Amino acid sequence: MRGIQLPLSQTQKVRLQKTLEQLESLSSKVNSDASVIIADSIPVNHEDGVLKGHGTADLNGEVVATVCGVVERVNKLVYVRSLRSRYKPEVGDIVIGRVAEVAQKRWRLDINFNQDAVLMLSSMNMPDGVQRRRTALDELNMRCIFEENDVVCAEVRGFQHDGLHLQARSRKYGKLYRGQLLTVPPYLVKRQKQHFHHLEEFGIDLILGCNGFIWVGEHIEAKDDMVEDQVSQSDPQVLLHNSASLEEQERNYTILETRKYICRAANAVRVLSILGFNITLEIIKGIIDLSLSMNLDIHEMLGSEFCVLVAEKEAERRSSNKKKR
Amino acid sequence: MVGLSLGEKHFIQGGIAHDLRCDGRKRLTYRPILVETGVIAQANGSARVRMGATDVIASIKAELGKPSLLQPDKGKVSIYIDCSSTAEPAFEGRGGDELAAELSNALQHCLLGGKSGAGAGIDLSSLIVVEGKICWDLYIDGLVVSSDGNVLDALGAAIKAALCNTGIPRVQVAAGTSNDEQPEVDVSDEEFLQFDTSGVPVIVTLTKIGRHYIVDATSEEESQMSSAVSISVNRQGHICGITKRGGVGLDPSIILDMISVAKHVSEQLMNKLDSEIASAEAEEES
Repeated sequence: MRGIQLPLSQTQKVRLQKTLEQLESLSSKVNSDASVIIADSIPVNHEDGVLKGHGTADLNGEVVATVCGVVERVNKLVYVRSLRSRYKPEVGDIVIGRVAEVAQKRWRLDINFNQDAVLMLSSMNMPDGVQRRRTALDELNMRCIFEENDVVCAEVRGFQHDGLHLQARSRKYGKLYRGQLLTVPPYLVKRQKQHFHHLEEFGIDLILGCNGFIWVGEHIEAKDDMVEDQVSQSDPQVLLHNSASLEEQERNYTILETRKYICRAANAVRVLSILGFNITLEIIKGIIDLSLSMNLDIHEMLGSEFCVLVAEKEAERRSSNKKKR
Repeated sequence: MVGLSLGEKHFIQGGIAHDLRCDGRKRLTYRPILVETGVIAQANGSARVRMGATDVIASIKAELGKPSLLQPDKGKVSIYIDCSSTAEPAFEGRGGDELAAELSNALQHCLLGGKSGAGAGIDLSSLIVVEGKICWDLYIDGLVVSSDGNVLDALGAAIKAALCNTGIPRVQVAAGTSNDEQPEVDVSDEEFLQFDTSGVPVIVTLTKIGRHYIVDATSEEESQMSSAVSISVNRQGHICGITKRGGVGLDPSIILDMISVAKHVSEQLMNKLDSEIASAEAEEES
């Protein structure tokens, strides 16, 4: 059963099996030859002189897949985009990363790619919102903006000679706090129009990073530049003076009600990741509503009964979507 | 695991203060426990226990040996734990050895009792075949396959499950040997004796974060701990062993409080584990 690791009872097992079969039957009709497993032959027209890319090999004059994934074709190039792999960045992707290192004029971010991404000091808006050249002083104060281990949201700018570059030229990007970071396999997050979501009814922010890092946190209003200016200037001194009380404040800042919704949303993402379903706002909302309507405790959402239920609902949803088309 | 940002740390600490942890659990709620038994065919008994992303395997191998001179009426039990280097980046190379030694020590304290073997959770006198001559040596090996916090509790549960799964072959001793000679034995391949596990304790680790303490901490939560107390409790609700990790001191009254909480929690854990083991055994047979 695709290594779904849940303590299932006999009836739950049968139900999950049935649901997965249903899901498979729904998907296979659409494009059955695009998804391959190892040693599947990929149909190509040899007269065109195809170029074999990643995840393909020549076997007795036939092109076969060496990884599980989806066949992609670009002109003559044929390659397999493997599913369970690290994140492959594309320009414009919104990603969430964790600062691995503060270096000269740049931060290095772990974004679940083969190499660390680079966020230059010059390619991000300064916290005071002023556009100017970055001075040596700014460089010394880089740790005031992001420290090691901070969670940062940014956009993929492109490949440069020294690696993958990110940019954060808007107020919606930047440091994330008051929430939790979840990691899921990157293929579960599809590129969409909108990756920043504000769930108003719950008062939480949800950021679906294309690299499989998902942030669930308290909603933070994008502040006005002027106000932010004053706050950021006074912050260091205040922090030094009464750091203990401020830390206590910060710890208790998020109220319990919001916390509950954050945890509920986080568990919805966890359930989807266990089941291997795509993660989108609608589905997450659906799961939250389902759990609320069932009056389930938050931690019970990770139980096997709820997982099976979510799988069944998802199958239902997909089949009804199909009928509409 | 990777480090956490200040915001995440505060969120975890605040959540624990509010009695709502990151995955929605309360302070004294466990993650779902998954038990599989008989995972290693060559061993006399084995079990795999998963709590969330923590994954451990325990195996038990029984061999015939000679009891020590000091305790001729008792068998021998030894516990070794190994931390797989795939479990966590920090375990690579020799990184896991320190934790492995710490875990084996803690388990020995919790399960084996004193030097004389008195008060052990495993009944050592049941391992004797011929007094002073032949006994069973039990080798308990634990492997941490993947670690997401609370490894000690998981290992304790895995060893308990593996002991329940253990069958020790029946031994026929050839009669009529004189006192000095080593008696001849005949080990049966068909008849197995079930091991008595009623006295084996479960381990409950209470991790103190801020002013509160929690059970079954994930590795993120463990990174925020000030100290952790592992208490092993048997079915009668008696304490079999206590070990403490972390450098921060604890007030004695807190420890007493922790013990009473652990006693209460262990009852639930013991029942949960028993039912899981029973269903795992049923699964294996079917």
